[in-house]
Amino acid sequence: MKQRITYLVPNPDDFHPDLLEVESASLSVRDLKAAKEHRLTLALSELPSELRKAFEQWHELHIRWASETPYSAPPPFTSRVSPGLHVFFTPQEDKSEGPICALLREVFGQEISCDDPQEAFTKLPILSERFSVSASSQFYAYVRSSAHFAQYVAERICPPSSTPCKAAAASLNWASYIDIDYDAISHAIILNAFWARAPRSSGWSETTHLPGGQDTIEIGVLNHETNPDPEDIAFSGFLTVLGQDTKPKPTRFQTPTRHYPLPATHSKQTYTTSFQHPTGLHPTLIITLPTRHLQPPAETCKLHTYLTLPSYLFLDRYPFRDDPVFLSAHNIAGLRSLSGATDLEAPDWVIGAWGSAALFEIAIPPSNKKQNTHLNVTIPLHLRYLPAQNASHTRVPVPWPIVFWACNAEEGTKMSSNPFDRRHLGFEGLFGVRTRFVHVPPAISSGGDGNGKLVEWIDVPVLDLRGARWVEVGTVGAVVLAFLGICWVLFWGGSGKATRSVAREKKKQ
Amino acid sequence: MALASSFKSPRAVFSAAVLLRVVLLVYGLFQDAYSPMKYTDIDYFVFTDAARFISQGKSPYARDTYRYTPLLAWLIYPTTWPGQMWFSFGKILFAVGDIVAGWMMFRILRSYQKMPQERALKFASIWLLNPMVATISTRGSSEGLLGVIVIALLWAVLARRIVVAGFLLGLAVHFKIYPFIYAASIVWWLDEGHSSGKKKRSGVAEKASIISHITRFVTRERLLLATTSIITFTAFNVVMYLTYGYPFLEHSYFYHLIRIDHRHNFSPYNTLLYLNSSPTTTSSSFELERLAFLPQLLLSVILIPIALAKKDLPSTMLAQTFAFVTFNKVCTSQYFLWYLIFLPFYLPHSTLLHSRPIGLTALTLWVLGQFFWLQQGYQLEFLGRSTFVPGLWMASLAFFVVNAGILGVVVRDVKGMGEAGQDAKVEKKR
Repeated sequence: MKQRITYLVPNPDDFHPDLLEVESASLSVRDLKAAKEHRLTLALSELPSELRKAFEQWHELHIRWASETPYSAPPPFTSRVSPGLHVFFTPQEDKSEGPICALLREVFGQEISCDDPQEAFTKLPILSERFSVSASSQFYAYVRSSAHFAQYVAERICPPSSTPCKAAAASLNWASYIDIDYDAISHAIILNAFWARAPRSSGWSETTHLPGGQDTIEIGVLNHETNPDPEDIAFSGFLTVLGQDTKPKPTRFQTPTRHYPLPATHSKQTYTTSFQHPTGLHPTLIITLPTRHLQPPAETCKLHTYLTLPSYLFLDRYPFRDDPVFLSAHNIAGLRSLSGATDLEAPDWVIGAWGSAALFEIAIPPSNKKQNTHLNVTIPLHLRYLPAQNASHTRVPVPWPIVFWACNAEEGTKMSSNPFDRRHLGFEGLFGVRTRFVHVPPAISSGGDGNGKLVEWIDVPVLDLRGARWVEVGTVGAVVLAFLGICWVLFWGGSGKATRSVAREKKKQ
Repeated sequence: MALASSFKSPRAVFSAAVLLRVVLLVYGLFQDAYSPMKYTDIDYFVFTDAARFISQGKSPYARDTYRYTPLLAWLIYPTTWPGQMWFSFGKILFAVGDIVAGWMMFRILRSYQKMPQERALKFASIWLLNPMVATISTRGSSEGLLGVIVIALLWAVLARRIVVAGFLLGLAVHFKIYPFIYAASIVWWLDEGHSSGKKKRSGVAEKASIISHITRFVTRERLLLATTSIITFTAFNVVMYLTYGYPFLEHSYFYHLIRIDHRHNFSPYNTLLYLNSSPTTTSSSFELERLAFLPQLLLSVILIPIALAKKDLPSTMLAQTFAFVTFNKVCTSQYFLWYLIFLPFYLPHSTLLHSRPIGLTALTLWVLGQFFWLQQGYQLEFLGRSTFVPGLWMASLAFFVVNAGILGVVVRDVKGMGEAGQDAKVEKKR
């Protein structure tokens, strides 16, 4: 087992080396105001046997869970996914998917709707053939909290006697995002958790011990530095390898990266998500961006939004094609990709797939037309029929989409040399290899029905079972009566008098 | 009365019908170009996409929700040629189809119902100058095209062009399935009295054995109609199946046979289908909706043709279509066009026209039923109110009852048509 812990101190004034204390096999931090990433690399053999057997059937598996609580994301942790549980997955070529669905439910919560992976997972489109490193299929479920996962780790992964492991598992409860990666080539599982800030406002105060002889723990305390090369990010700080180093070693490095924060000049760019009310059966999702700061961070950058739509929502791709009037009315430059459950008619209960994912390019009005303070990007969606309930409406969550600039990158493939490189977020495969992403952070929605979370809830009208007692009898009764009535007229009832009088009239003429 | 006198010349009426469609077509181009709300029907984009797939050598079923015969996509092939004018080719074709259907309607009224020209033009105008008909075709819905085929079928039968009728029947069923109901009434109508004009051999029939009943039923014309229609239907299907494979069968036939349209529509079964297909419903129900085809097909294929076809064929076809649409599991406003095309043949003999109170009541109730339903539908679709029960359910049942009532009036009138003839004879004798 390898571990790497990185504290990223956003404000250099908050840090001085006195806050660190290194002993022979432990490192303590005190009141460290920082974001933290904890990365655990496990060999397959270190897993419980049920998990090991399952992983052996898979070619690659990437799980991304993100919290619905907004968080700030300092570089290099700038990349984002919509809140909830995302799974990107490829089984071994000649093997079945195995118990992926059962495991997801066991690990992340039984409410996850995944029975048959063949149905529940959808094919991930890959626009760039060369970008062959993407997983083949995609799954999403709205999983509000990481509590179930934290409990699973504490009970099933941690050795029963290990208190530090259980404490680490408990800290997953308030992680901002959690990544799990596995691929058959490295045969290793990487568990990566990120906390945007410490649970206490005073900062992190904790001690990391080296548990066994063979394990290594590398701990870095870094802060982001501005650097002259616009395609790189640079850090300085201290690195400590527990067991080897007796004191923190100063370090300074720069690396090309796939995901960028907004440059300081654009730092006020942000977005909110809401729905036009009433939502009805055709809710319109609104992404609102303040126009004042809406300049591209570089010339080649195009603004995009990536939507993760659970199965009860769907998008009709057809109006988005070659109709400039429709597109510009919605401030959309185009629908660049749509994959997953896109059936335009089926009710939710016949859709086995998790839902669909859409990538839009946002149209930015020319600067001379920016009289409005806000740019509203509107995306017309449609709701599927949901099962009848003992209620008039069913409330369903809609995760906020993510918004980012996609820009040309000169460095291309060198990005993976970044020790903090994060891939398999669903949308990178839709761009060429030489693309870098500048992420626009979400803002907490103010006013309206903003609940302070990155999830909107909408009420879907459903058939209310409480009033449906007479539907069957009433319908069948009406049809049978109407049928019998017409039969009676056909074979026994009288015939039209009007026609007789017509005939008489005709005769008279 | 400039309006009344304008019905005197076919040229005036048909010019007005053409002008109406041209105006709507041009208006549609403007609305499409300048408004994000499109005049063009969503289905038209489906057809033209399918035609584009065909032009690229692909299957029309590569387009989601293309549920029609590939023939339709082939018919509007020119829409794939560059330019907005060619894109509108399909709409123009459908609009021309409207006019041709109206012309045949006019000819049938003149020749077979022996109607004076002005009166025939007035009744044909129910179709020709109907804004709903013109709007539907110029928005690019293919229903009008089916209208032409069905009217041509009626004309061919009345004109005793049996081979042509068989071909058109096969084609119509290939196009949209439901016209198979007309086979029943046409076959029943084509008896000796109607088909060959020979004298009825009365008296013999009573003593006749079952075998002679059958042999007398199987006439040359009936056989010819059956053979030609089956050959046409089969030939089209074989060609399409060989070219486009299983997706052709799946989308143009199986889909329509097994489809359960959950989204609300005018059908009385709609709420019941939602209720019983919903996985939360405990299955205490008898699933009687599975038997919905019984009253529908009994009425439209067996009972109405047997009771009415020999009295008046066009009105029987109206009653059949009306019954089929009213009792269908799915019903949208496009389906109203299916029976509207027969209305000009029936209305001249109709209680609805001759009894002002009955006619106005029927019309008012029909419009009110629609309005009530649309109002409930609007509350659901756009305001998000859960109006499934009782609102939409009651609205669709009320609309159903109104339609059943109108069907009752139609049936009664058509029944009387034969008697009216007898009446006339009786009165002559006096």
